[in-house]
Amino acid sequence: MGATQHGPRLVDARLLLLLIVVAAGSRGLVSGLFDDPALQTWSTIFVSITIQALPFLVLGVLLSGAVAALVPPGWLARALPRRTTLAVPVAGLAGAALPGCECASVPIAARLRDRGVSTAAAFAFMLAAPAINPVVLVTTAVAFPGRPQMVVARFLGSLLTSVGVGLLWIRFGRETWIGRSRVRTVEGENRWQSFGATVREDFLQAGGWLVVGAAAAASLQVFVPRSLLDLVAGNELLAAGCLGLLAVALAICSEADAFVAASLRQFSLSARLVFLVVGPALDVKLIAMHAGIFGRRFALRFAPLTFGVAAASALLVGRWLL
Amino acid sequence: MLLTVGGMALWLGLSDATLSYVRAWLRLPLAASGVVLLVLALATLRWGSGKDEEPAGHDHGHVAGGPRSAWLLVVPVLVLLLVAPPALGSYAASRRAPGTGGDSTGDFPALPEAVGGAVPLPVSEFVSRALYDRRQSLAGVRVRMLGFVTPSDKPGEGYRLARFNFFCCAADAAAYEVAVRGDSTPRRADQWLLVEGRWLPEPVATATAPSTRRPVLMVDSVTPVDPPADRYEHNLYAF
Repeated sequence: MGATQHGPRLVDARLLLLLIVVAAGSRGLVSGLFDDPALQTWSTIFVSITIQALPFLVLGVLLSGAVAALVPPGWLARALPRRTTLAVPVAGLAGAALPGCECASVPIAARLRDRGVSTAAAFAFMLAAPAINPVVLVTTAVAFPGRPQMVVARFLGSLLTSVGVGLLWIRFGRETWIGRSRVRTVEGENRWQSFGATVREDFLQAGGWLVVGAAAAASLQVFVPRSLLDLVAGNELLAAGCLGLLAVALAICSEADAFVAASLRQFSLSARLVFLVVGPALDVKLIAMHAGIFGRRFALRFAPLTFGVAAASALLVGRWLL
Repeated sequence: MLLTVGGMALWLGLSDATLSYVRAWLRLPLAASGVVLLVLALATLRWGSGKDEEPAGHDHGHVAGGPRSAWLLVVPVLVLLLVAPPALGSYAASRRAPGTGGDSTGDFPALPEAVGGAVPLPVSEFVSRALYDRRQSLAGVRVRMLGFVTPSDKPGEGYRLARFNFFCCAADAAAYEVAVRGDSTPRRADQWLLVEGRWLPEPVATATAPSTRRPVLMVDSVTPVDPPADRYEHNLYAF
């Protein structure tokens, strides 16, 4: 406490302030340097993704802080069915209650787990919440007018993905993959201080990784020409795989991906369903946040698992409904 | 750090510059998030950041005051300050396949009323109708559109009038383009123009033969204008 704790923090803050002031001041001098249109386009997309996600991230960390500090410990674990295999689908369905960007769901899942919810159920919630909430379903209905089966298919595909990953985790997952918990427990003098401190922690951690993901998505958008897609539209399996990879690369908010999918007219509805189911579950933004919050070893395993389950669920549901 | 990001969010929420990146309705949540972060930052300064319980196993990535990855949050702030990225323009438009308008299988509603001799239409609506309206509602109608110039990659084709359209943020923006004919004045890329003219009719595309053509507009009036406050269109979506 006291001097030693305040010392380093103030140094960091002063350095930051200096950086900002220098940047603001040198704008006139360096404006010529940043004129390249590719850099400008990249910057626009990078900044857009970050800004769009920001309010949802704040909402998410407010909720995760509440889970950590304001909800009595153990209450959550008691609220879910005792048997983990039942808790998974319940947690998945509970995801429908959280409207918003997928960035909100990662810190919430981390705190849920910290507070006694089984890992599998927490992941089920994390995968389902961005994909089956009312806002996403409504935008899907608007983007595909006259095709309500797309909405149903998306709902089922994503629910199946979240439950599938949760159940597979029960069977095959190991807690050691998550390594040391990167979720810091912060205790304050009272509940509200804990709440504030947790929100701050979660925001700083998740926010940093969001920036990494946004940068990756912007790079992929600017440097990979989309005309590549036209080549694969004909082959069904290849199309599904490519759209799945595209969903991961583009990191589009789950509220908007329906419109992007609708515009990919050269692809079949089933292939586009793969895009819609994979996107909210896994993309570069999310992978970066998984790595930052749950560890790199975890992210390396979780990403292909989720991709596989999501693509398979989408193809299955697509075959049945579309 | 929280002060910086919070301040940025608040400023963005209150200024028009945000419209280059996201939609107008996000401004209030952005400003609100900014306020939350600023309040949190002030509370931390006043009351300290609490004692940390180290989890089992010792902790690498943290310095006093927050996780090291938090430094990354300064990057968007710096980019905004140094690069001040503009709304997407002709470079981005030329890199993407043109937008083809949602997946409408139904009929289009009636055209809006003409104002001053021409029907004002968003570029994206013009493109959608030109490509997919079975009843060819555009035939013979004089339209007025606002967009920016994108050079054509086909030699001898002149330029295209383009406008981006997105639902969520600039990352999901699609460029809608119209090939302009009948204007021999050389135009700069990214120049904003108000054009009036008529559609050159072509056969309508169908769901089984999707079109990546750009519809053609024969113009008779071209006026350079200042860019509008919101350079994107958002009309394809009900909200």
